[in-house]
Amino acid sequence: MAKKIRATLKVQAPAGQATAAPPVGPALGQHGINIMEFIKAFNERTADLRGYVVPAEITVFEDRSFTFVTKAPLAAALLKRAAGVESGSAEPNREKVGRVSQQQLREIAELKMADLNANTVEQAMRIIAGTARSMGIEVTA
Amino acid sequence: MTSSADPPGGDRWLELSVEADAEAVEPVSEILGRVAPNGGTAVRPTRLLRDPDDELNVREDPSAPFVVTAHVPDDAAAPAAIEATERALWHLQAFGLRPVSGLSVRPVDASAWTEAWKAHYAAQRIGRVVIVPSWLEEQLRAGEVAVRMDPGMAFGTGLHPTTRGCIELLQQVRPMPPRLLDVGCGSGILALAALRLGADRADACDTDALAVAATRANAEANRLGDRVAVWQGTLPARPAAEPYQLVLANLVASVLIELAARLAAHTAPGGTLLASGIIEGRATEVRDAFAAAGLAIRTERHDGEWVSLRAERVRS
Repeated sequence: MAKKIRATLKVQAPAGQATAAPPVGPALGQHGINIMEFIKAFNERTADLRGYVVPAEITVFEDRSFTFVTKAPLAAALLKRAAGVESGSAEPNREKVGRVSQQQLREIAELKMADLNANTVEQAMRIIAGTARSMGIEVTA
Repeated sequence: MTSSADPPGGDRWLELSVEADAEAVEPVSEILGRVAPNGGTAVRPTRLLRDPDDELNVREDPSAPFVVTAHVPDDAAAPAAIEATERALWHLQAFGLRPVSGLSVRPVDASAWTEAWKAHYAAQRIGRVVIVPSWLEEQLRAGEVAVRMDPGMAFGTGLHPTTRGCIELLQQVRPMPPRLLDVGCGSGILALAALRLGADRADACDTDALAVAATRANAEANRLGDRVAVWQGTLPARPAAEPYQLVLANLVASVLIELAARLAAHTAPGGTLLASGIIEGRATEVRDAFAAAGLAIRTERHDGEWVSLRAERVRS
């Protein structure tokens, strides 16, 4: 069926545990999307990733029907898992909360490369490294 | 805005939002997610670019900012959460990931998120066919038939010109033949409307597994499940059995052109093909492809930039 795209948006919600509470409810509700149908499908597709916040890229069509694809967990969540920390630093330039190796950085970059619009792994690594530093996570040699 | 009618506590929220460059979206999301109850955030682009080669498609403009939002309960802890977020965003500057705007905070009415989206929908009348969401009761007038469809991934408001065009042309098919084929069935709405208008059986196909499941579910919801056969896949070169007196194809111009010969092969001589989803700028190409396949255009319907065609398979 021919349908023009009306809007695109991304929600980043806990895998397997999304509810109609924010961010899903307000983000989808303003577009008139059937929230419960999205939640059911999102939770089914992300059941294996419990513990991560997972992005879903949603395409809303002119008639308010929609489709979505789930992406790899947020780089921040992967970095926290790799560094073994609960949260990023409140003052990342002064207080470091953890560290990841170049190898870990590369693995995360490879996983996230498609989502980041990066052309090379090195470019993706630079973006992920920026995220790591902004969280107070050091990248070691 | 919140109001005195809101229940106390849990339904009062503050929306925190920040505009950020594409590269800063993930770190800004992480910062906003720290204070959101479940770590969730939302991101929307501020600019979409139309694809010049595909009339239906758009893509996000990575050179324009994105708006990252998160929600926190509007309670005693909110000021501290906002202050912590502002501080963390400020620190991003040290890493060259500067947000392009400051933090905006506004109260939002969250009392009915799960139900509010339904306000966008009402029963839709397209000639004699009435599309009714399952939560509404609609009084039918004399001669009207109802198709119950819940909006969702495969189907929206039913107002799209391509769907409307096909349903209008469908009502010009008289008498309604007993057997029909719906190619690219999506939600199944066209096949179900044809059954309500007098057809006995519908065969339907779609390349999308989601659409196949939606057609089956909607057929069951309309108590027409035993009269609809759906398969996943594209149209074969020739029909497995007898060709159909009626073929419905609400697709896009490029696919209609590609499938023209197959659609003709599935339409019985003297039978009708209803084709929709044709953007005006490509209508001539579709007409030419249909003519070459032995399909003569009998009616054209224009709605905005969309064209729907009723064609007849020429008897050889």
